Amino acid sequence: MIKNFVKTAFRSLMKNKGFTAINILGLALGLAACLLIVFYVVDELSYDRFNKKADRIYRVNEDLKLGDNRVQYAVAMAPLAQTLKRDFPDVENAARLRPTGFHVKKGGENIQESNVVFADPSVFDVFTLPMLYGDKTSALTEPYTVVISASTALKYFNKLNVVGQILTIDNNQPLKITGVMEDMSKQSHFYADFLESMTTKADSHSTGWLQSNFNTYVLFREGADPKKLEAQFPQLLQKYSNAEMQATVGMGINAFEKSGSFFRLNLIPLTAIYLHSNLTGEMSANSSAQYVYIFSAIALFILIIACVNFMNLSTARSSNRAREVGVRKVLGSPRKYLIGQFLMESILITLAGTVIAIIIVAIMLPAFNNLSGKSIAINANILTWLVPALLIGVLMIGCLAGAYPAIFLSGFQPVDVLKGKLSNGFKGSRLRSFLVVFQFAISIFLIVGTLVIYNQLKYIQNRDIGYNRNQVLVIKNSYELGNQANIFKQEVKQLSGVVNATLTQFLPTSGSRSTDALFKDQSKDPKKTIFPQLWQVDPDYIKTLGMSVTAGRNFSEKMPTDSGAIVINETAAKFLGFSNPINKILYRGYNNSQLKPYTIIGVVKDFNFSSLRDNVTPVVLFLNNNNGNMGIRVSTANLPTLLSSIENKWKALTPSVKINYSFMDADFDATYRTEQRMGQIFIVFTSLAIIIACLGLFGLSAYAAEQRTKEIGIRKVLGANISTIVRMLSLDFIKLVFISILIATPVAWWVMNKWLQDFAYRINIQWWVLAIAGLTAMLIAFMTISFQSIKAALANPVKSLRSE
Amino acid sequence: MIKITELQKYYRTEEVETIALNKLSIDVKEGEFVAIMGPSGCGKSTLLNILGLLDDPDGGSYLFNNIEVAAFNERKRADLRKHNIGFVFQSFNLIDELTVFENVELPLIYTGVPAAERVGRVEKVLDKMQIMHRRNHYPQQLSGGQQQRVAVARAVVNNPKLILADEPTGNLDSSNGNEVMELLTDLNEQGTTIIMVTHSEHDARYSHRIIRLLDGQTVMENIMI
Repeated sequence: MIKNFVKTAFRSLMKNKGFTAINILGLALGLAACLLIVFYVVDELSYDRFNKKADRIYRVNEDLKLGDNRVQYAVAMAPLAQTLKRDFPDVENAARLRPTGFHVKKGGENIQESNVVFADPSVFDVFTLPMLYGDKTSALTEPYTVVISASTALKYFNKLNVVGQILTIDNNQPLKITGVMEDMSKQSHFYADFLESMTTKADSHSTGWLQSNFNTYVLFREGADPKKLEAQFPQLLQKYSNAEMQATVGMGINAFEKSGSFFRLNLIPLTAIYLHSNLTGEMSANSSAQYVYIFSAIALFILIIACVNFMNLSTARSSNRAREVGVRKVLGSPRKYLIGQFLMESILITLAGTVIAIIIVAIMLPAFNNLSGKSIAINANILTWLVPALLIGVLMIGCLAGAYPAIFLSGFQPVDVLKGKLSNGFKGSRLRSFLVVFQFAISIFLIVGTLVIYNQLKYIQNRDIGYNRNQVLVIKNSYELGNQANIFKQEVKQLSGVVNATLTQFLPTSGSRSTDALFKDQSKDPKKTIFPQLWQVDPDYIKTLGMSVTAGRNFSEKMPTDSGAIVINETAAKFLGFSNPINKILYRGYNNSQLKPYTIIGVVKDFNFSSLRDNVTPVVLFLNNNNGNMGIRVSTANLPTLLSSIENKWKALTPSVKINYSFMDADFDATYRTEQRMGQIFIVFTSLAIIIACLGLFGLSAYAAEQRTKEIGIRKVLGANISTIVRMLSLDFIKLVFISILIATPVAWWVMNKWLQDFAYRINIQWWVLAIAGLTAMLIAFMTISFQSIKAALANPVKSLRSE
Repeated sequence: MIKITELQKYYRTEEVETIALNKLSIDVKEGEFVAIMGPSGCGKSTLLNILGLLDDPDGGSYLFNNIEVAAFNERKRADLRKHNIGFVFQSFNLIDELTVFENVELPLIYTGVPAAERVGRVEKVLDKMQIMHRRNHYPQQLSGGQQQRVAVARAVVNNPKLILADEPTGNLDSSNGNEVMELLTDLNEQGTTIIMVTHSEHDARYSHRIIRLLDGQTVMENIMI
């Protein structure tokens, strides 16, 4: 019987080649899009799961509220890890990590390495990092020892077993290699080619409970409840940090909490970090679960649209199959055989669609990787879940998409069919109309979504961000110059084409920064505190970056008292609540008890220095000789010449270190690369969804026209012109698209407004965005339908009437 | 073999009720060849559909081999149909996607005949209908007469006791029409009961008895000699 099903199904599909092609193509496109998104989502969801003990690993976060300022940290205090291991039997082990970077000497060259992490020896017990050479237990116990990845061993030594070899870092510091580990999985919230022993780092031995610099991971014993440990954190802080708190802010933890501030610890599961954590002090930038949800929804939408096509086209052409159903029933076929036959057709189409989808995916994967920034490859690992998933998927989609047509078609009464009662299979299906509305509602929703995302990204990129990021050269390793950094700055300033230059701790586009408390008076009362970022700058900073001073003045080299002066941003001024902040004094704590006064000499217009999703937070600039970064404002038509002059100046001062520079506008764009990527992926898949929906509409309108051939013939004989016929045929569909617009527009408006709430700086959704989405859908639908309508209207009526 | 008593059938739309069969009573004995004639809309096809268990009567009794079948459900009707009744339609109703052989094989598949046995039985009947040389052709590759021969082959392959033919020559020229009528006569002579709806007096003359209907009632019965 199955053989008969397959044979009939195959021949029936071959007979209706146009229908079959539209169905298979639509399904293949939908499945291919779906597969690519599934790869993406699976990749995102599998972060950190390579760790065999992943379900028992948690990170300790810190949550600090000081007056009106709240900061959440991914880092904790130096002694915490050891304390947890010692005091809590549920804790099997704990490890601290801290990202860093250095230059490694190779021949005459110093190579910058940024995947460097300080790690406790216990890192190998907590995380799954298989060692190829060396001893896990002792590898990181001594200072100045390092475990490197296999590819790093090959890079520097051309062989794998390099235990005992020495690497020279930052010009003269020897590091002994005590182990070679397998390359880490890229699906990790941190990536290290070098694990340097934590004990090398002096502040890792700190006993202070108020400075947090270490990403701290806890491995629980099997069956332990992390909630129990979390519940004991308040007592732990009371026990260890109370005295220090008393000394620093003049009150103990309890009084601190009563004053409305707090200092707390909490836990986050390792596997939640990559998608759900975006705190200060992350090991590296994480992704967001929001994108996983959005893309999963898009994949589902596309699949539904493709399935709806199948259902619609199959039921629309029911009249063509009705006679066959009737004859089979007359000959004694039970209904289940007919259902089986139609399901088989559906499964065959799905199977063909899947095969083509796989081919499309194989061809498109490199482009998709490029678009999404992933490096997904179809390997044995993926195939172990992909092949069964696809087989189940084919059966499920085949049955789901085929179920309605199968039940609908097999339900025909033979006597009705043979009497010709079902000659018009197209009309009278409310479900089909509903499905077309549903498809187009999804398409319109996606068009609105795409337009809003596109406009928001454009807005972000063109918004006044409070400084001029164009034509600023950023030298990222000016610290390499040491004491000569200022000489370099002065020499560069002399070059023609250089407008100004600044040496600073932070630029608005640089990475991690530090925050500290400033008090409004000497009482250390947390209510009279702001918790700003403190940036060490030089007097050229504000001028070089094109920031504007809205009150008071900029720093001046001519004013010796400026060493005790600060310039604050507008947000800091607002937080402080002074009506005129100029000449007011703020105090910063040193050595737990002494306070140093700073006079506010100016207010700088707010400028963005983190994601535009976040509001600007308070920033305080003060003078210091920090040579961490250098910003050079240039103005020249001949940039290559200027760049080589700057490089020459650099080489003259430090020949062994390579200058590492970038342009500030490119760095700024990099901050929004995730958003830009998401925007692009969104556009691609939205277009696909619309194409698939239109394929379905194309097929439906073809059948509608075919069904009404006789009616069109009669109307033409009676004098109808072509435009009347086209209007008549198009109107039914256009009505449906119009209903879709009415349904989809408010929903899309609401959802996209919700999405925009995540941005501190955002656009309002304009009415014309919704209008454009609706019109686009209408236009695309009309073009699709009119192709068939015009074809039908142009047909010779004599022919159509004779054939009837 | 067939005894219908006071059979009624109405067709209702929202506004109009049409009586198709008006308390019609007919007996057909085993081995008979009966023609049913009458103008369009007199209820011929409705009667044939009810006799073939394709349609339900609204009243009256239908005994098939002394079993009351008027109230049978769809499954029972399909079962009785596939074992006992063969159909021949005016428009042949062959399945375009299947070859001649496969079309004729279909009733055997539905009655669960094993594949090996099916081949022999289909070949035998194709041979009998002189269409064996076309066994691998598709319906649209055959002439009308050939298509109707295939349809007859399909109707008889299960050795049904009854063949219902609805204007079997309506779409054929006279020479092909005569051939089909000869085939039906042969089958009848071998014992198959045949009930045929026709407009053609010529075809009706092949039967033993003509029942003439008007407005859902029998108006005349002619016994042919």
